[in-house]
Amino acid sequence: MRHIFKFPDIGEGLDEGTIVEWYVKKGQIVEAGESLVKMETDKVVTDIPSPRDGVIAARYGNEGETINVGDPLVEIEMEGVEGEAAQEESKKIDEGESSKIENVEEEAAGVVGTLESAGNNAFLPASDEGISVTETDEKSSQKKTIATPVARALAKELNVDINEVKGTGPGSRVMKEDIQKYADSGSKNASNRGNRMVDEGPRVRIEPMSQMRKTIAKNMLRSKHNAAHMSVFDEVEASELIAIRSRFKDKFKADEIKLSYLPFIIKATALALKKHPNLNSEMDMENSKMIYKNYVNIGIAVDTEDGLLVPVIQDADKLSIREIAIKVNEIAEKARKRKISMEDMKDGTFTITSFGSIGGKFAVPVINYPQAGILGIGRMAKQPVVKNDAVVPGNILPLSMSVDHRIVDGGEVTRFLNQIMEYLGDPINLIMD
Amino acid sequence: MLNPKTKIMKYDLIIIGSGPAGYVAAIRAGQVGLKTAIVEKDTIGGMCLNWGCIPTKALIESAKFYNRLNDAAEFGIEGIDLKKLDFNWPKAVERAYKVVNKLTNGVEFLLKKNGVEIIMGEAEIVGEHEISINNRTIEAENIIIATGSLPERIPGEGSNLDIRALYKMQELPESIAVYGHGPVSVELAQLFNLLGVKTFLITEHEKTLIPQGDQYLNDFILKKLKSQGVKIQKNLPSKDVPVLNASLRKAILPAIKPEIDLTDDGFAQTNLNLQTSIPNIYAIGDVNGRSYLAHVGSAQGVFAVNHIKGIEKQMDIRSYPLNIYTVPEMAQIGFTEQELQEEGVEYKVSEMPLSINGKAMTEGDTEGVVRILSEKKLGEVMGVQIIGPNATDMIAEAAAFIEMEATIYDVARTVHAHPTVSEVFMETGMEALDKAIHK
Repeated sequence: MRHIFKFPDIGEGLDEGTIVEWYVKKGQIVEAGESLVKMETDKVVTDIPSPRDGVIAARYGNEGETINVGDPLVEIEMEGVEGEAAQEESKKIDEGESSKIENVEEEAAGVVGTLESAGNNAFLPASDEGISVTETDEKSSQKKTIATPVARALAKELNVDINEVKGTGPGSRVMKEDIQKYADSGSKNASNRGNRMVDEGPRVRIEPMSQMRKTIAKNMLRSKHNAAHMSVFDEVEASELIAIRSRFKDKFKADEIKLSYLPFIIKATALALKKHPNLNSEMDMENSKMIYKNYVNIGIAVDTEDGLLVPVIQDADKLSIREIAIKVNEIAEKARKRKISMEDMKDGTFTITSFGSIGGKFAVPVINYPQAGILGIGRMAKQPVVKNDAVVPGNILPLSMSVDHRIVDGGEVTRFLNQIMEYLGDPINLIMD
Repeated sequence: MLNPKTKIMKYDLIIIGSGPAGYVAAIRAGQVGLKTAIVEKDTIGGMCLNWGCIPTKALIESAKFYNRLNDAAEFGIEGIDLKKLDFNWPKAVERAYKVVNKLTNGVEFLLKKNGVEIIMGEAEIVGEHEISINNRTIEAENIIIATGSLPERIPGEGSNLDIRALYKMQELPESIAVYGHGPVSVELAQLFNLLGVKTFLITEHEKTLIPQGDQYLNDFILKKLKSQGVKIQKNLPSKDVPVLNASLRKAILPAIKPEIDLTDDGFAQTNLNLQTSIPNIYAIGDVNGRSYLAHVGSAQGVFAVNHIKGIEKQMDIRSYPLNIYTVPEMAQIGFTEQELQEEGVEYKVSEMPLSINGKAMTEGDTEGVVRILSEKKLGEVMGVQIIGPNATDMIAEAAAFIEMEATIYDVARTVHAHPTVSEVFMETGMEALDKAIHK
């Protein structure tokens, strides 16, 4: 029997994904759970596992191509299931289909929704000709452009999509020269429309939006549309924090743990959230309900080459500074290797964005909706402060916080921020509370 | 009262000359609905059909047959006394003309079938739109001059043979001097040599007997002619030896009242649309001096008529085959090695000899080679040269590959029937991929 595995919806509201890398070839034996393909989906690059044991009979889409949710991804020829047994098997699985939809993380309101293992009517009887048949099926689904062999070879060489090129040969056949001209002109065509001088070059560069950019745009807009943003700014004198951090820095370094200020801030925020559960909640307006989370998962906004990612440190309130530091190190390493997975990003309850590492002082951060708030950390700087009526050098850490004013009121936000400042101003409180 | 004799006939197009350029243009014009007349002062078909391409090839066949008889015994044919063998030139010419007559009749039929009026007589262009024939004036929207060319008379005292006079010879001369280089000279020199005539080839370019040919073909044919006993020299031999000029050509232009511009060599000057300095007067074929090949003239004929019909396209024929009817035959298409070097193309040469080929062996004729020049990166077939008994037919396959921008992969993938000499072509494609089977 042949199982058609369709591209599952692995994220919320996801409708397409881009194939980054195939791990399997046609004819390869796979086991259920083995990674089939790496997809760049909504907000993440993730591996899609095989739902069945069997042999890959067909693969759909090449690396770089976009696949819609519900479109076939692979066909898996299942071994040892033939004839009546196969029909039985087919029935069994068809019946069991609804239960096959795994609820991956029911309590999660975050990124991950449901994972569909097999679509409807996902079974086709295997043909006698086996694998070779699906090869032709695969081909016939693609539009065939008439082109000379050299034009095809050249298009491949110059990375030109031959379907985009207008053929000037007999019967509109795409010739070598057409490819050459297309490659030479490139985006110049777009700019020459208005009788402009050719050598001025293009005024704009038009590129397709990446999946990640699309998602970021969608999420930002959703947050701004739905949450009632309100921001508070403050500064904390952090000389004590600096002292503690420098004391432990080398000690941690011996264990190859890099200790920045971030683990302290995460810990401080997590503990403050425990004291102010309103900020660790979300609002379900439709059902007129408030959802208070009894766990504290802190998302850390990470600036990557591809765009903004928010990996999450689970149960940050229960972790020591050292444990948090290890998690932060892991996240940095994964971000560098572009290996942050869907799993790493799910189910945050509050977010910290540390733009100060790049240089900003204050900002108005956008809430990672539907969370209730986001804390922005600015650049720490030496500044004159007044202590005991004397101006002395101080170390100022600027804090910017945005909250959803629907959920929390100004007084509570200020009290929450004060709590964080207390922790950071005198870090001993982090272990005393 | 209207006197029909004074009524001036009007045409969309008048073509002067019915050689392969003119008659093809006329048929094409008929096809696209132009009211067309073709004027011929001598014989339908022009030089090519009547004295050039066709009868010379018929004579070359006679010469090949004659020579082949030497191998009769080896092929198991007995009873031929080689000492009694003799070549009857007038008989061979008679056979050649049977073929010619069939073909000229065929052309005449095609012209009529396509509604082309044939006017016999010598045309004089007396105005931009007026032509006078036999004191009668006809008018045309457009005029195509397709009057061809003729070899010039060689200065000097020796007896000059016009190529047309060859067919009137009662017997073969003892010796002959073929003047000039180029395919026709080489073919004729070898023809006479094969028939036992002491032959001289008079040229200063013995290294490039075929000027447009790849050096490989030139080296081959020079060696071949020398080994067959053709004397290649720069000066004419004694006065007694008749001289046949098959090289230096002169345009045959009709009398033209409003003068058209000529090239330095006296050919009709044409632009890329094949128009002369008078835009509604075109010149196609030999008369414009661009090429002396019949098939190029025909292609120009179709192009010019398209242009008249407003189909404005560049002459986009990618490559013409060049055929040389020697023994063995030689043919080439596309770029030569020398041209590829000039263009700075990185290329690969792949060669397979006919001596490995079963069919060639059964035919008892294994002299020859197939060479494919392919571009290194993409494997595009850039040029092909073939030497062999049927090279001039085998080149058609290469022409298709080049016209369609095919690669050596396509050549290697194309199944060729066995046994055929053409298998060598496929094998050469495989050789280009370092995968030749029979090597």
